[in-house]
Amino acid sequence: MADKKTILNVAILGTGNIGTDLMVKALRSPFLDCTLFAGRNLTSAGMTKANSLGVRVSALGVESIMKDPDCCDLVFDATSAIDHKYHWSLLEKMGKIVIDMTPSRVGEMCIPAINLDSCLKYKNVNMVTCGGQASIPMAHLIGLLHQEVDYIEVISSIASRSAGPATRINIDEYVETTEEGIKIFSGCKRSKVMLILNPAHPPIDMQTTVFAKVKKPDIQKLNAAAVDMARQIQAYVPGYQLIVPPVLENKRIVIMVKIQGLGDYLPKFAGNLDIINCAAIAMAEEYAKNSRSAPIRASAKNK
Amino acid sequence: MISNILISDPTLRDGSHAVSHQLNAHQIASYTAAADAAGIPIVEVGHGNGLGASSLQIGESLLDDTTILKIARENLIHSKLGIHVMPGIATINKDLKKALSMGVDVFRVACHCTEADITQRHISFIRNKGKEVYGVLMMNHMAPKDVLVEEAYKMQSYGADGVLLYDSAGASIPSDVKEKIELLVKSLEIQVGYHAHNNLGLAIANSITAVQAGATILDGTVRGFGAGAGNAQLEVLVPVLEKMGYSTGVDFYKLLDLSDFAERELMKVVPSIKPDSVCSALAGIFSGFSKHVQRISKEYGVDSRDVWFELGRRKIVAGQEDIIIEVAVKLAAEGGKGQ
Amino acid sequence: MKSEHRDMIYKDCEQVTANSVHLLSALRGQCILITGGTGFVGTWLAEMITFLNDNHDFNTQLILLSGRANNFSAKAPHLADRNDITLIESDIRNVVDIPNEVEWIIHAAGNPDNRLHASDPLRTIQVIVKGTDTILEVATRLPDLKKFLNISSGLVYGSQPWELETIPESFMGSLNCDSIRSAYAEAKRMGETLCAVYRNQHRLPVVNARPFAFIGPYQLLDRPWAINNFIRDSLLGGPIRILGDGETVRSYMYPSDMAWWLLRILVQGTVGASYNVGSPHGVTLQKLAKKIAGHSPVKSEILSGLSSDRSLGRSKFIPDVRLAKNALDLCINVDLDSAIKRTIVWNRNYC
Repeated sequence: MADKKTILNVAILGTGNIGTDLMVKALRSPFLDCTLFAGRNLTSAGMTKANSLGVRVSALGVESIMKDPDCCDLVFDATSAIDHKYHWSLLEKMGKIVIDMTPSRVGEMCIPAINLDSCLKYKNVNMVTCGGQASIPMAHLIGLLHQEVDYIEVISSIASRSAGPATRINIDEYVETTEEGIKIFSGCKRSKVMLILNPAHPPIDMQTTVFAKVKKPDIQKLNAAAVDMARQIQAYVPGYQLIVPPVLENKRIVIMVKIQGLGDYLPKFAGNLDIINCAAIAMAEEYAKNSRSAPIRASAKNK
Repeated sequence: MISNILISDPTLRDGSHAVSHQLNAHQIASYTAAADAAGIPIVEVGHGNGLGASSLQIGESLLDDTTILKIARENLIHSKLGIHVMPGIATINKDLKKALSMGVDVFRVACHCTEADITQRHISFIRNKGKEVYGVLMMNHMAPKDVLVEEAYKMQSYGADGVLLYDSAGASIPSDVKEKIELLVKSLEIQVGYHAHNNLGLAIANSITAVQAGATILDGTVRGFGAGAGNAQLEVLVPVLEKMGYSTGVDFYKLLDLSDFAERELMKVVPSIKPDSVCSALAGIFSGFSKHVQRISKEYGVDSRDVWFELGRRKIVAGQEDIIIEVAVKLAAEGGKGQ
Repeated sequence: MKSEHRDMIYKDCEQVTANSVHLLSALRGQCILITGGTGFVGTWLAEMITFLNDNHDFNTQLILLSGRANNFSAKAPHLADRNDITLIESDIRNVVDIPNEVEWIIHAAGNPDNRLHASDPLRTIQVIVKGTDTILEVATRLPDLKKFLNISSGLVYGSQPWELETIPESFMGSLNCDSIRSAYAEAKRMGETLCAVYRNQHRLPVVNARPFAFIGPYQLLDRPWAINNFIRDSLLGGPIRILGDGETVRSYMYPSDMAWWLLRILVQGTVGASYNVGSPHGVTLQKLAKKIAGHSPVKSEILSGLSSDRSLGRSKFIPDVRLAKNALDLCINVDLDSAIKRTIVWNRNYC
C-alpha cells in the first residue's frame, strides 16, 4: 500500500461516461482518492453511480471547487474543450494540477509510455485522444529508430456503441488533435488520421493500425522495440495487445494493436474510452508519487 | 409530363479505385472537358474515398486534391463540379474549406449507413455556405429499411438537399432497392438517389428500380468505370432512362464518344464481373477493397475468397482496409483456410 | 404453493413448448434479467424458464429485479428459493448497475392496475418513463447484451375504433394527451419512444411487445377487469354483474402462451419491431359471462344492462396478431374455454 502522504485528492469535473469511469478507477487507485464528483445534473447516471459509491457530488461544476478549494489537489476535466478553457483559467489561479481529457490542446500532450516524467513539470496536461494514446507510442518508436520519417498514418476502428454524441460531433477535432500528436511525438513531416465507426453486433474491440513510410525501414529493431513498448503500455492499460507486430507490406510499415477495456464503468468493448482514462490515471498516480518533488511550472504554453 | 432524372457522373472518383488512384492531370483535364461537352449535369472528381482519403490505408493518389480540383474546375463550364467526403477521414478545416475556396458546386457527405450523426457538422457547414449538399448512406445493404429512414431523416434535418443510398458492395438485388427507396421517398421531404455497383450484374436493373420507386438522382460512370465490378454504365443507363420516358439532358452521341474516349484514355482494363467481385458482393464487403484483397491474399499465400468471406463475417465497413492484413495474417497462420 | 397448482403450471409449460423447445435454444446457458420480475409477467417468465431448466437442461440464469422482491418468497417460494433465480430488490428508477453477465433484458416493470393509474398518475408516469430510461441507460454499459425486450402495452393505441375488427401494430392510435386518464398509455408510448431513441442513438438491440389482456394463474381476481371480476363473482356464487349491455368485446390470452410468445419475441423478434401479444379471438362480455357461469362449480346468474344507455361505453380491445403469426409462427395454444376452466381450478379456494 502507498504511504498515506502520497495520496492525492482528486476532483472530477464532468459526470458523463468518461468522468464516471475515471471516478471508479480513481477509487481503486492506492495513490488517489476521489473527493469530489461535480457536474450539472444531479440525476445523471454518473451522479447516481457516485452517490451509490459514497462519493461527494455537486451540481455546481467548477464552482464547487472554488467554494472549497482544499477539497482536492488535482482535477480531471472531463467536460468539453470550450469549458476546459474556462475551467483552467480558474483552476490555474488556485494552483491545481489539471489533467485535461478534452481535445482543447491547452496543456502539454501526455502519453504516459513516452513522457510521463517530463509531464510532471506542468500543471496542465492533455491526454490527446483515445486513438492518440493507442498509436502515438508506436509512431514515437518509428521516429526514434529511423533517420527520416516522411509520413505516419493511423486508422482506428471503434464500436459504434462506444462512440457517444460528443465523440461523433467532435470527429474533426479528434482527427486533427491526433494528427498533431503524432507529428509532435514522432517527428514525422506529415501525418493522417482516420476514425471508422463499425456498428457490428456484438460490438468490435477498438483496433488501431499505424502505417509509416520511412527511407530505410528497420523492421527487426522496430519489432523488438514494439514488443517492449506494448509491455510498458500494458502496465497501465492492461487490455493493450500488439496483434500484428511491425511488418513491411507494400513498402509501408504496418503495426496493429487492439485495446480491450477493463470493464469498470463502461463495457469492455469501449477500449477507446478505457485507454485514455487508464492513461490519465497513470499520469495522476505519477503526480501523487512525486507530490513533494520539484516545483511545478504554471502551464505548458509558458515553456 | 416527362420527369427529370439528375445524373451525376463519378467516373473519375469511383474509377479512381480501379486504377489505384493513379489518374493523371491530362486524364482528368480531358475527361472533364469531354463530360462538360456531353452535357453531364454533375461531374465528381477526387480520390475514390473522397477528399483527404489519399492514404496508405486506402491508396495514395498520384495527384493531390488541390491539383485535381484545379484541373476539374478549369474544364467544367456547364457541368457542376462535385466531390465526396467522409467524416472521420475528411475534416471541415482541412478539406471542405479548401473545396469551397476552389469552387466546388456539389458536395456529397458520406458515412456508413448507420452512422449519419457524424455528418451533422459537415452537412450543416456546406449548407450554411449556400452550396448543394447531399447525404450519402454507404453500404446500405447492411441496414434494414427502417434504420435507413432514421439515418436519412437525420441528414434531412441537417439540411441535406437529398439523400443517396450507395450499394457500395454491389450486394443489393432489385427487391431490396424497391422497398428501401420507396420507404425513403415516402418518409422524406427531400430528393432520394441511388448509386449502384455491378458486382452481381444488377447495376442498371437496380438503378431503374430505384427510379421506378421514386428516386430522382442516379449515379453512373462510363464503361462502368469504378471500384470492384464497376458502377451502372452511364452510356447504357441514360438511353434506358430515355426509353422509359425520363429525361436526363445528356447528349447521347457525345456520351457515347465520351465513353470510347474514356476507355482509351483512363482504363487499363474495362471493369468486368470477376469471381472476386461476386465474392465481395456475397460477403457484403466494400468494392473498393478489391485491389487490396487481391494483392494481400497473394502476398500471404491465402485464397482471396476466404479473405472476402472472413471480412464479411466480421462485418467490416468502408475505411477498414487495414483489417485485410490482419485477416490474411490470421488465415495464413491457420494454413490458408477460411472458416 | 399446492402441488396441484405446480402440476398445473408444469402441464401448461409442457403444452406450449411441445416440439418447439429448440426455438429458444439461444437462451441456453444465458443470463436474463427481468425488471418487474415478481409481477404477473415476470412470475410466468420465471415459471417457463425454470421449466426449461428442469426439463430441457437450459441452464439459464434468471435475475428478477423488483421493488417487491422481498415478498416473492411468500408469493412463490418454489421459485424464490431456486439456485437459478437471483432476486434483486430495487426501485427501477434507482438502478445504478446490473451484473455484467446479463445478456438479455426483459423490461416488465410498471403496474398495469388502472386503479393505481387513476389515483396516482404521477407515480405511474415516473415509474414507466424514468424507469425505462434508467434501465436502458444501464443496458448501454452491458458488454454482452444480446436483446432488450420492452414490455409496452396494447393501451398505447388508445381506444379501438368500433369499426376496426382488430388493432394492427401499424395503428397510429387515438389518445387524448391532456387527460389524467392518459397517464399510463402516454407513459407507455414515451417508453417505446425511449426504446427507439436508445436503439438508434446507442445502438441497443431493442424490441417491443404490446400485451393486451390475459387470464390465468397468478392473475389476481381483485383486479378491476371484466374477466377477473366475472370469475370472482362466479366463485362467490354470483351474480355475475356486467356493466353496460354486454356487447363490449374483449379477448384473453392464457399466460403460458404469453410467456412463450414473449420469450420467442425476445429471441427472434426483429430489432426495432413491435409485436402485439394477445388473443385475436374476440368475445362479447355477455358470452364471456355465460362461458364462466357454465364452467363454474357454483351456479350463478348473470345481470347485465346495469347502465342506463345500453350502447354507452361499448368498446372493443382485440389485437391483430398476424405479425407474430407470420414472422414468428406464434399461435394460441390454449383457447378461451380452457383458460377459463384452468383459472377457475387455480382459484377454487378463492373465497
